[in-house]
Amino acid sequence: MINSKYLLFACVFSAAAALAACQPADGGSSSAGLPKGRIDAGELQAAVKGEATGQSCIDCHGPDGNQPLDPTYPKLGGQYEDYLGHALQQYRSGARDHSLMSNQAQGLSDQQIADLAAFFASQPSELSDLSGVY
Amino acid sequence: MMRPLQLAACLAFAVVPFAAGAQDPAPAAQQAALEEGRSLAYTCMGCHGIPEYRNAYPAYRVPKIGGQSEEYLTNALNEYKRGTRRHPTMEAQAKSFSDEDIANLAAFLSSVNK
Repeated sequence: MINSKYLLFACVFSAAAALAACQPADGGSSSAGLPKGRIDAGELQAAVKGEATGQSCIDCHGPDGNQPLDPTYPKLGGQYEDYLGHALQQYRSGARDHSLMSNQAQGLSDQQIADLAAFFASQPSELSDLSGVY
Repeated sequence: MMRPLQLAACLAFAVVPFAAGAQDPAPAAQQAALEEGRSLAYTCMGCHGIPEYRNAYPAYRVPKIGGQSEEYLTNALNEYKRGTRRHPTMEAQAKSFSDEDIANLAAFLSSVNK
């Protein structure tokens, strides 16, 4: 009986250790295993026209992501890099759906997503968290 | 003999605020929407009010929503409400909001300018 209790404890402990190891060590900027984003490569990528839509990121969101062409489009400038990466991954996988963005994200590699996220996150921002609002 | 005049004066002053409101109804309604949105948005603070607050599994920082496009925010909340955009906490929050609540929230959040 003692042996099985120890075995159970060892299992729980090692499972907890394995989970802890999955946390990003640096409190990091990339999400879900994306490579490190490169701002300069992202800036070039942001101007590339998507095959399906004929539009680039900056055609619709503005050169720094702060001039959405349509009021339903979000501002991207200064948004958190890992959130932007997560959003593009969701559009690519189909977990999130938008008539333009789903097609736009379809052909992007992990590196391209990371680069785009790094570029728009580096731009001037009109966005803020809600701290200090109340 | 003064009484009717006093009464008329009281009535005149009582009517003035309504008349002033009627001349400019749009900003008053807008202000009411912002106030209502501000009150509703208190529930957002637990995550969106904390700088760098992280979502768990997958780990990413929850987005900055202050100053975001009003119609984008409206659509996002409606998608969460319908379940076409998935996030457990956001779906639960959005399902508790009426269409008017969502419009007021979006108006307030987009007006945040720090």
